[in-house]
This record gives sequence, C-alpha cells and structure tokens, in this order.
Amino acid sequence: MTIPHQREGQDPALALRGLVKRFDTKLAVAGVDLDVPAGSFFGLLGPNGAGKTTTLSMAVGLLRPDAGQATILGYDVWADPAAAKARFGVLPDGVRLFDRLTGTELLAYHGLLRGMDATVVNQRSVELLDVLALGADNRTLVVDYSAGMKKKIGLACAMLHAPRLLVLDEPFEAVDPVSAALIRDILQRYVAGGGTVVFSSHVMAVVERLCTHAAILADGTIRLRGTLDEVRGARSLEDVFVEVVGGRTATGSELAWL
Amino acid sequence: MAVGARHFVKLKLRITANGLRGQTWRVALFVLGAVLAAGAALGGYLALSLPGLLHEQRAAEVVLPLAGAIIVLGWLFLPLVFFGVDESLDPARFALLPLGRRTLIGGLFAASLAGVPALATLAGTLGMVDSAARLGGPGAALAEFVGVCTGLLLCTAISRSLTSAFATALRSRRARDLATVLLALLAALLGPLQLAALAGAQSANWNSIARITDVVAWTPLGAPYTLGLDVAAGRAWAVPVKLALVLATIGLLLWWWSATLERAMLGAAGSSRPRERAASAREPVAQLVPTWLPRTRFGALTAREMRYWWRETRRRASLITFGVVGIFLPVLITVSSGSTAGPTGMLVFVGALAAVSLANQFGLEGSAYAAHMVAGVPGRVELSSRVAGFSVWVVPALLAIAAIVGLVAGRPEAIPALIGTLAAAYGAGLALVLPISVRAAYALPDTANPFAMSSGGGLAKGLLSFAALFGAAILTVPLQLLAFLVDDVWLWIGLPLGVLYGAGALAVGLRLTGPMLDRRAPELLATVSAR
Repeated sequence: MTIPHQREGQDPALALRGLVKRFDTKLAVAGVDLDVPAGSFFGLLGPNGAGKTTTLSMAVGLLRPDAGQATILGYDVWADPAAAKARFGVLPDGVRLFDRLTGTELLAYHGLLRGMDATVVNQRSVELLDVLALGADNRTLVVDYSAGMKKKIGLACAMLHAPRLLVLDEPFEAVDPVSAALIRDILQRYVAGGGTVVFSSHVMAVVERLCTHAAILADGTIRLRGTLDEVRGARSLEDVFVEVVGGRTATGSELAWL
Repeated sequence: MAVGARHFVKLKLRITANGLRGQTWRVALFVLGAVLAAGAALGGYLALSLPGLLHEQRAAEVVLPLAGAIIVLGWLFLPLVFFGVDESLDPARFALLPLGRRTLIGGLFAASLAGVPALATLAGTLGMVDSAARLGGPGAALAEFVGVCTGLLLCTAISRSLTSAFATALRSRRARDLATVLLALLAALLGPLQLAALAGAQSANWNSIARITDVVAWTPLGAPYTLGLDVAAGRAWAVPVKLALVLATIGLLLWWWSATLERAMLGAAGSSRPRERAASAREPVAQLVPTWLPRTRFGALTAREMRYWWRETRRRASLITFGVVGIFLPVLITVSSGSTAGPTGMLVFVGALAAVSLANQFGLEGSAYAAHMVAGVPGRVELSSRVAGFSVWVVPALLAIAAIVGLVAGRPEAIPALIGTLAAAYGAGLALVLPISVRAAYALPDTANPFAMSSGGGLAKGLLSFAALFGAAILTVPLQLLAFLVDDVWLWIGLPLGVLYGAGALAVGLRLTGPMLDRRAPELLATVSAR
C-alpha cells in the first residue's frame, strides 16, 4: 500500500483522457479530457443533455466508453476496477436505490458490499444517519422516502467506506434548502479534510458558492475549465455559462398567446 | 376532436414500432414470435376445421366448446404464469389527461386487441367458422363468426381484468392473502375439469363427454364458440341467449377492470401509504443480516435478495404464482392419473419452473444494480448470493411439494427420491437460467402492475422460460432414465444422487456465468436500466 500512497499524492484525483460515447447515431460524449486535482471541490457544469451523466458514468465504471481512459487516484477504472473502485464513492442520478430496504438496512448493505467489518459499518451508519437527520431507528422503506431523503441516504452510502474521492451526479437536484445546506456543509468538511468532490450541476449559485474548480460541458465536449476564478473571470458564472453554451434569450415577441 | 379507440390503437402500434427501432434482437424476437404465433394459428385453424371437414356434428359439439374453454383459460393463466401482459400503454400515464373512464377503458381494450396474440387467436379460431360453414351453411358461419369475435373480446377482457385485479390486490397486505387464496381456488377449479376429461377419455364414453361439453357450451367459457353449431343444429333461439350471456360477462369484466384500474392509477400518483414499521433498537447490520447468515458481502447480498422476494410486488407475485402452480399441478396429475409411481416428469417441470423465476433477475431491480458494480462485487458472489436468497423461499416450497405429492400418491417412502428429482431439476434449471439472466436480461416497465411487460418483453420472457424448462428436462434425462430403470434402488439413491446432480449443475453454471457477468456488467446495466 506504500506505492499507491505516493502515487495518490501526485496524481489528479480523477483524470479523463479522450472519453467518447456514442448512442446509436448520437454522439453523447465527443472526447472529454479532464483533470480533477486532488483536494479540489470540482463542479461539472452543463445544460440538460450535455453529457454530464454519461461522462461521470464512464468515469466510475458504470458505462463502457467507446474510446478513452479514466483514471482515479492513479488507477485505471477499466483496467484495474477493483483497486479504483475501492477509492471512490458514487451518488448516481436517475439510478434506483435498493429502495425496498429501510435506510438503515441500505447503509449496512453498502458497507458490507464494500467488504467492511460489521462493527465499523454499525458505528459509521448510526453516525451518518444521525448527522444527516435520517434517524437510525427509522424503519421506513427507502421507496417511501422523500426526494431529499433519498439523496441524503444515497450520499451516506457513497461516503460510508471513507473514500478519497466522491463522484456525485446532481446531488442538489430536488433537494429542499434545509437538506441542501446540510449536504453542502458535510461536503465542505469532507474537502477540508483532504477529500476530493466532483459533482455535476446546472445550478450556478451552488457551484459559485462551493467550488474551487469548474468545467463547462456542452454537446459532449469540455468548453471551459480551470479554477473557478479562471472560468468566470470578472463576470458572473451564469453569464459565462449562457455564452459558452450558446443559449438563446427570449425577445418577448414569441409566446404572445400566453 | 373526440378521442376514440383508434387513437389508442395507433398509439400502441407506434410505441411497438418505436420499441423495435434500432434493436436488432428485439426485431428478431418479434419476428420469431410472429412466426410462432402464425404457426399456432395455422395449427389451430386446421384442428378446428377438422370436425367440419369430416361432417361430424357430434364431434364439433364436443371439440369446439372444449377448445374454446381451453383458449379462454389459456388467456387467463398464461399471462399470470409465463408471459405477463403487454402494458406498453401504461394506464397510469393517462391519469392526467382529460379522458372519461369509458373512453379510457374502451381505448385500452381496443389497444390490447391490436397485438400478435389476439390476432393469432382470432386466426386460429376462424377454423371454427370453417367447421360451422360446412355443417350448417352461411347462416351458421355468420353466427359462428360473431361468436368467435366475441370470444376474442372475452379472452382479452378476462386476461386484462384478472391481471389488473391481482396486481391491485397484491399491493395491499390484507388483500394479498385473499388474492393468493383466490388464485389457488381458480387453479383448483381446473382439477374437476381435468378429472372429468380424463375419466371421460378413459371410458371413451361419448355420452358422458357430450354431457360435460353441453354444460361447458352454456358457460361463458364455451358459449361464444358454439353459436354456429346451434344454428346448424336448428337451435337458433340459443344464439341470442348465449350472446347475451357472453356480452354480459365481458361487460362485467370490463367494469371490474375499470374499477381496479382506477385504484391503480391513484396508487401511481403516490397514495400508497408508507409502511410504518416499529422502530428497531438493533444495530444496522443486525437489522439487515439475520443471525444465521455471515456478516459478509455474501451474507448482505443474500439477505437483501431474500427480503426483495417478499417486499417487491413483482417478485412476490411470481413467488406466489410458483407456489400455487408448483403444488397444484403435480397433485392434480397424481390424483387424476391414479398412478403410484409419482409424477417424475411433472416434478422436473416444477423444479425447473422454480429456477425460471430467476431468468430476468437483473431486470427485476433495474438500475439499482449499479450499486453492486460500483462496489465491485465479483460475479460469482453476486450470482451465488442471488441463488441463495431465492432458495430460502423456494427450497422449503419444493420440500413441501415433494412431501405432498408423495402422500397424495400414497407412497410416502418415495418422498426422498422425489426430493432428489426436484433438486436435480432445480439445479439444472439454475445452471441454464444463470447465463440467460446475464445474456438475455431485459428492462421491465416501472409500473405498479407486477405482470406488466414492455412490448416484446412478454414474448422474450415466455420464450426464455420455455427454453429453460425444455433444457432442464433434457439435462435431467439421465436421472429420469435411471429412476425408471432401477425403480426400487432409486428410492434409496434418488435423494443423494439428485441433490449431487443438482448441486453439480449449479456449480458448473456459477463457474461459467460468474466471469461472464464480470465481463458484461456495464452492458447488463445498460440493458436493464429502463430508458
């Protein structure tokens, strides 16, 4: 384990090289190169359908890329999946949880799946449920949870094995402000403690508030990347985003019947 | 513009066509299904037109109502056990549209007629029109044609309303047990019918058979298919009476369907009450993993799988259906054949049928499988834990089946050998089903109806199930032969040999399928994630 530790010090937490994914005729991701520095809070921005979920799925080994490479803390996700997967946690979006378990059962399940010791799983689960205000003795099935609670339990599952990298797909989608503040707080503490967070979003305010680094993805390619200040320059992130993505602004003449 | 049935039919055809676009294997499946259905329709037509060709009014009066009843019962049971219902038009999706209940039911009903099974049934039963024409001329043919058409409506109505009602019932805990009992009773009703048929066939007494078929011809099951014969026999007065009987049945079924549908649509809007459970003071791991399972990855996977077979409606439905079919079929065969040898062939079928429940095990939870991939669960552990979790439910059921069949056959001493047969068939079935579950998984629609299939899925499910059943039957041929040849010794060696055989087959299956799953996990996830 000594050599990987040395490598982890120098390598970026997540490195993508020329990732390409084609669905039928549509080119969803057209060659993404990205370096996420270790210890950064990285926001991956993009409009709907830009390829954020596809890119992150390929980065964590859920979707096989047509071309390219994904490396996590120095381990190739597709060539050495076991070593890479032990080092990160994922909160996928639009992916079902094993929602016929209670929240507590689900956490214990993820812990044991990761090969953790039962006593450690117990101790950390209770603590996570408590911090996330989910209640360790709550016996409601996850399927009956609200959207915000589902995100929170998903986040807890991703963090349980104390990974050095968290890959979160839309962690703030459909989350109420109270839960969002809690999630933000936990993630900031995690980064302060040396962890790395990559998350996708299309909410500029969240990204501006949290991130040290950002990249803008549109039509399957990275349009802009760097530290937050490099990306936005002197303007607001929203203006930069709309300009880079090339959105149209309403002139006021259409939709007159509304 | 008023929304009519044809809009629903067009929508259904459009969805079916879009589902086929760019999916080679789906097109292949669809074509295969169409060819099989055409073959069945042709066979049915020939068989049903035979009484007419031979000018046997008597034979026609036996064959037509019986065949009709079998067709209707087939429409009732096959979706429950094998195929599921094609719910490419999910009723819940219409919940927000300003559609009247009549329009909706009429449209969905018309749309469910626009499918391969309905067309094949119609084509096959047209043989009855052929028969009626030869026996009673154009008048009889016309009456029979009307009958065949209403018969098709009856088939569709019965399968839609029953699966929908069963689905609704399965959602609430109290009604669930009732539904189980109801299904069991329905299956039990087949018993007397079968007994009568076998008894009649054995004594070859035309009169007693004719008496039974005369009764069947006046039940909604056989009535639509005998209208032409009544005209041919000069009982034209019976036609309107029977027609009224069938139409009333269809009306009742549709009313029942619309009632359950309404409840299902409300349920989809999120009114399913959260299940409040008593707070537990136990540790998280202890809540998940029972004490008799190891607190490891395998233990967690097995415990989750075990729970899922009961907590998830779709799985619970298949578990209950298996229990009912698995107990009733062999018992009925034993009773009706009166043999004391024990229905070995039927038990092979039951053992393999248990395994077939796992044929689309990855489709059952869809994209949730991503969690296992992210955690890097090895294929061998994944598959063996799934088998273990399912077996917690199925092995006791199989033991009970063996015991019941042995007792019913009057040979309790044969029970161990019967268990051996079941174990061998279950193991061989699993060995076949595991690679199928990895290579031929398909996404299931995310609806409240556990029998719902996306279009084409029903055929895939049915074909794969039959392939696995057939394969398991072939794999266990050596054991069946041995059992036949050394009957006395088999009583002693049946249990150890069968268990060994089943375990060996399962081990081979796991060994071959584990690496396959490791290689294909991302592709598997993509196919089972409903898009």
